[in-house]
Amino acid sequence: MAQGGSKLTAEFNEKAKASLGKFTRRQVMELDTCAHCGLCTDNCPAYNESKDPLHAPGVRSAMAVKLYDRKYNFLTRLFGNTEITVKDVEELSESAYHCTLCGRCMESCPFGFQTHELWTRVREIVADLDGTPVNVGRLAGMLEENMNPYGLDPDERLDWVDYTDLDEVPEKEEAEVAYFVGCTTAFKGANHEVAFSIASILDEVGEDWTVLGEEEWCCGNPSLLSGDEHTAKEYAEHNVKELERRGVKKVITGCAGCYRVFRFEYPKLLGREPNFETLHSVEYLRDVLVSGKLKLEATDEKVIYHDPCELSRLSGVISAPREALKYLTNNPLEFEEKGIDVRCCGGGGLLQAVNNDMRLDIVSRRLEEAVEKGADILVSACPACKLAFTDGVRERGFEIEVLDLLELAARQLGVF
Amino acid sequence: MNSILTSIYAFSVQRLPYITLIVTFMGVALRVMRWRSSPPDPEKIKIDPVESVKYVILDVVLFRKTWKTDKAMWLALFLFHGSVAGIVFGHLRGFHIWSITLFEAFGHAFAEFMVHTLPIYVGYVFIITQVYFLARRVMLENKQLTSMPNDYIALVLLLMKSIAGQGMRLVAPEAVPTALYSVVFIPRFVVLHLETIPNSHWFHIHIILTQLFIMYVPFSKFIHIITGVITPAIYGSRRKQIDR
Repeated sequence: MAQGGSKLTAEFNEKAKASLGKFTRRQVMELDTCAHCGLCTDNCPAYNESKDPLHAPGVRSAMAVKLYDRKYNFLTRLFGNTEITVKDVEELSESAYHCTLCGRCMESCPFGFQTHELWTRVREIVADLDGTPVNVGRLAGMLEENMNPYGLDPDERLDWVDYTDLDEVPEKEEAEVAYFVGCTTAFKGANHEVAFSIASILDEVGEDWTVLGEEEWCCGNPSLLSGDEHTAKEYAEHNVKELERRGVKKVITGCAGCYRVFRFEYPKLLGREPNFETLHSVEYLRDVLVSGKLKLEATDEKVIYHDPCELSRLSGVISAPREALKYLTNNPLEFEEKGIDVRCCGGGGLLQAVNNDMRLDIVSRRLEEAVEKGADILVSACPACKLAFTDGVRERGFEIEVLDLLELAARQLGVF
Repeated sequence: MNSILTSIYAFSVQRLPYITLIVTFMGVALRVMRWRSSPPDPEKIKIDPVESVKYVILDVVLFRKTWKTDKAMWLALFLFHGSVAGIVFGHLRGFHIWSITLFEAFGHAFAEFMVHTLPIYVGYVFIITQVYFLARRVMLENKQLTSMPNDYIALVLLLMKSIAGQGMRLVAPEAVPTALYSVVFIPRFVVLHLETIPNSHWFHIHIILTQLFIMYVPFSKFIHIITGVITPAIYGSRRKQIDR
């Protein structure tokens, strides 16, 4: 970060002005409307763990509008402080990255601000001002080199096939359905069984399906979450081109982040709708269970479902997993905070890269509740949630099995 | 009354309303220009009238989200905004938008209660809820929230004007004229008709503070009087687009 005493250089302040000017019309209106009532704070998973005012969404809003006013408010520019300091950028970064981007503040805000987009924009500004935390910054390098945020070779993308009981997965030049595996499923051992489960179910139903193999690049979500829209656009263009080239009509992904990005961000990044439909694996599972294409016997185990924030609150997929779950267990359980009001597991927003202890504290609350409810199995529908839960179980010693919903289905199918 | 006060009071009725009008419109124009000069949103949200109205009713009229989060705050918000609606409606009688005959169908005693007794209680509710908001803000400051100076200025200004308004009700009027007493702010457009001649000090303090408050609205968080309807309407349409 450029430094000049506590103040940044004039050039940097010009850059700050240009960057702050990225707040859209609606976002400036939202910042102007925010009454700093603090109601968003009551449900914020990050603030509730740290109790640090910097982590409160309303305080972030106040910080953002103060900086914006320094460059764009007529009266402030005439009579007030117009400089942006190192401390300002550091505080904004601390605030922006101690957030899981779960969007719960949107559901607490009386004015219904689109906070997920607002906080992502704040991260973009932080990135422009060189304030991105070091660990998050490393992601960019790994993404650039390997097209995934884990720094692993792209040819390892299908290694999950070798680690599971699957003989092979189809890599076709033309197919009706594409399974977009996602980096966190493909590269993280804890999620390999999720990919195996989805592949097994697609085979069982008899779909004409394919994976993209090495041609699958990161969906772009980590880039968007760290304020790098340019890279996300590059990935969006590549993935959509590859899928459309193969004549794919339906893209299925088991990752809530990939799903949200495909449905809502790709049209914005590309300026058009892709020529295929995007489904989350739980929607697909629900469809094949309801239509009778897949027949399963329900277990008597008590199963509690955790809504991934990116799937439920931010993408509106709330009933599909519950409808599917009815076919999988005779004893479904629910968290108190669920659906649109789900409490985040801590696995999102790149929080792990910035403050893993906070992530574990957040996930522990969720695990505590699941155990109190008497659940045998905690299921979710997102590889980041599954990782958070498995880390929580391991690190904090909870006695509960953690599965993806599709893994539960595959288990009932008898594939493992 | 000394001549300085007389001049100020005359100014508050004869000149200040024009200044209020100009400053308020300029303030709103500046706000709109600020928003217009920002880049448009990349995502076009199709406004769904039914969903927008639904969420405006749920979130702005009924405070659905606050109910889920903080019941005490919900009660305070509901009472505060309810009393605002009642007070604004009550003032419209003075501007001859409606009259006591509106309630006469339910009996004279009821009509008297509605126009003379109930407003006093509503005034107390209005003040108490504002004190609650102010106290809550002070207590949560630098813990759960960070206020901007205008958050306090707006609230204090509103509280002062409310106390002045309530004071006017509690202090005996200066006279009870046989005909209505008219206060002409803007000839033919803004003329207040009163049954009594209120205490001059309370009345003029109230109208000065009210006009300062109106001028301050576009520069303060009270801009949510306008935008607080727009953002939930967008939220409602967005939810409709998202939900599967």
